[in-house]
Amino acid sequence: MMKQRIYIIVAIFLLLVVVAYMARDLFFSPKENVTNPYEYELAKLKKSDSSLLAYAEKQQVKTSLEEIHGVAVDASDQIYVCGKEGVELFDMTGNPEKKFSIGGIANCLYIDQKGTIYLGIQDHVEVYNAEGKLRGKWKSCGEDAFITSIAVTDSFAFLADAGKKVVYRYDLSGRQLNRIGEKDPERNVPGFVIPSPYFDLGIGKENELWVVNPGRHTFEKYSYDGRLISSWGEGSMSVEGFCGCCNPSNFALLSDGSFVTSEKGIERVKVYSPQGKFECVVAEPDSFEAGTKGLDLAVDTQDRIIVLDPVKKLIRIFLKKS
Amino acid sequence: MPNRREFIQKLVRGSILAGLGLLSGALIFRSREEDGCGFDFACGSCSKAKDCNLPQARANTQMVWQLDPAKCIQCGRCATSCVLTPSAVKCVHVYAMCGYCDLCGGYFKPETKTLNTGAENQLCPTNAIKRRFIEDPFFEYTIDEPLCIGCGKCVKGCGAFGNGSLQLQVRHDRCVNCNECSIARNCPSEAFSRVPANNPSLLNGFGKEEMKGQNIKV
Repeated sequence: MMKQRIYIIVAIFLLLVVVAYMARDLFFSPKENVTNPYEYELAKLKKSDSSLLAYAEKQQVKTSLEEIHGVAVDASDQIYVCGKEGVELFDMTGNPEKKFSIGGIANCLYIDQKGTIYLGIQDHVEVYNAEGKLRGKWKSCGEDAFITSIAVTDSFAFLADAGKKVVYRYDLSGRQLNRIGEKDPERNVPGFVIPSPYFDLGIGKENELWVVNPGRHTFEKYSYDGRLISSWGEGSMSVEGFCGCCNPSNFALLSDGSFVTSEKGIERVKVYSPQGKFECVVAEPDSFEAGTKGLDLAVDTQDRIIVLDPVKKLIRIFLKKS
Repeated sequence: MPNRREFIQKLVRGSILAGLGLLSGALIFRSREEDGCGFDFACGSCSKAKDCNLPQARANTQMVWQLDPAKCIQCGRCATSCVLTPSAVKCVHVYAMCGYCDLCGGYFKPETKTLNTGAENQLCPTNAIKRRFIEDPFFEYTIDEPLCIGCGKCVKGCGAFGNGSLQLQVRHDRCVNCNECSIARNCPSEAFSRVPANNPSLLNGFGKEEMKGQNIKV
C-alpha cells in the first residue's frame, strides 16, 4: 500500500515537472540568441588609432535651448549658440551671459568684428545687434532655400544654400551680388553635390572663400567672382578621408589656416593641414552618441576647438595636448 | 364565439405564421444585400466594412504582415527565418530620399579603394544591388529583387552613412501570409505587425507616398 502511494507521488511529481517544462517552453522561452551570418560590423570602423588623438576635451557646457544647430565665437571669444527660437551667449569660460528669442529656427550663425549677429533662418538671414535687437531681415533666397552656413568679411557676406546647392555673395546691406559654385563645365566648376542638408563654408586667413562639396568629399576654394581656384579631399572610410555619402558636414579654420572637420556616419572631428594633409584626431567616434549629425565647429583666438553636440545639447571644448 | 382552447390554437398558429414571415423577409433582405451594397466600395470609410461579406470589402479589410523600418535593427533574421527561400522580405529603394552618391554606404564595402562594380567591392552578399552611372557624380542604385535575400546589410550601411533610402519590406507578391509569421516570431525588435492588404507599405521618410501603391496583395 505504502509502495503504491510512493509510486503515485513520484508519478505526479514527474507529471508536474513535464507540465512545467512544457509551459516554460510555450510561454517563457527567450528569443533565440542567433548570431547574424550577415552582420555588418560598424563598430570596427569606428575604432581609430589612439596615437592619432592629439586633443583632449577640457570642458562641457550645457545649453538651454530646445534644439541647437549652430555655434560661433566672436572677437572676444564669447561663444554663441543658435537653435530653435533663440540664441544663447556664454563667456569664454562657459558661463551663461545672455539669451534672446528669435522668430524661428536658426540653423547657422556668424558674429562679425563689431559683434553683429547674422542668423541663417530657413530661407533668409536676420541681422541682430550685440544686444539681441533685430536690425534687419534680408529678402528670402527662394522657396527651396535652406541656409546652412554664413561667413562675413569686412565687405561681404557669403551664404551656403543647401536647398539650391549654391553659395551667394551679398553686400552687408543684404543685396545679393552673385552666385558661386553652380555647375559650369566651361569654368571647370563641378557643381555642389549635397545629398543631405549639411553644407558649410568659411573664410580663410587670407580672406579666401572655402566651401565644402560634401557629395564629392572635397574642400573647394573660390574667388569672390566664382572662379574655382583649388580643391582637396577624398572619400574614404579610413581616418585620412571623409566617410559616407556626404562629408565633412562642418568645418572651422585654425589660426594657421589648418582645417578642423567634423563628420557624420563615423562621428569624428579631425584636423587637416592648410594643404589638406590629414594631421590628427580631435574627437573619436566614441565621444559621441551613435547617429549624431551636425557637429558644428568654431575656433577661438586661442585655437581652442569648440564642438557643438546637438544630441547631448552640449558645447564641448577641446584643447591640444601639450 | 371561439372557446378558450380555439383562441389559444389560433394565437399559436398566428405567431408561427408571423415568425415565418419575419424570417423569410430577413433572408430575402440579406440575400439582396449580398448582391450589392449600393455604395461605391469606398470600404475604407465604411463602418460596416469589418463584418461585411462582400468580396470587395474582404479585399479591403484583409490584413497582411509588414515590417516597420523605423523599428528594424537589421539583425539578419528576415533572411534566415522566413518559411520561403529566399525570404519574402526584400530591400526596397525609396528613390526620393537617395543622394545618388558615388560612394554609397549601402553598396560598397567600407574598405573599398576603387569605386567600381567589382564583386569584391560590393557589400551585398548576393550582388543584388545594381549601380548605374547617371551623370557626374551621380549613380542610380536599383534592387534586383529575385537576388535579394533580405539580409539588411545594405540597409544598415545606407542608414549609417547615407540618407536611409534603402529599407526592408515584406513583398506581398511573394509572402504567403502565414497565420503566425515565422520572422515576426523571431524578430528581436518586434518590427512586424499586421497592416491592411490594400495599403501594405510601412516605409520611412519623404518619398514614401510615391511607393504607397506598390506590391498590394488582394
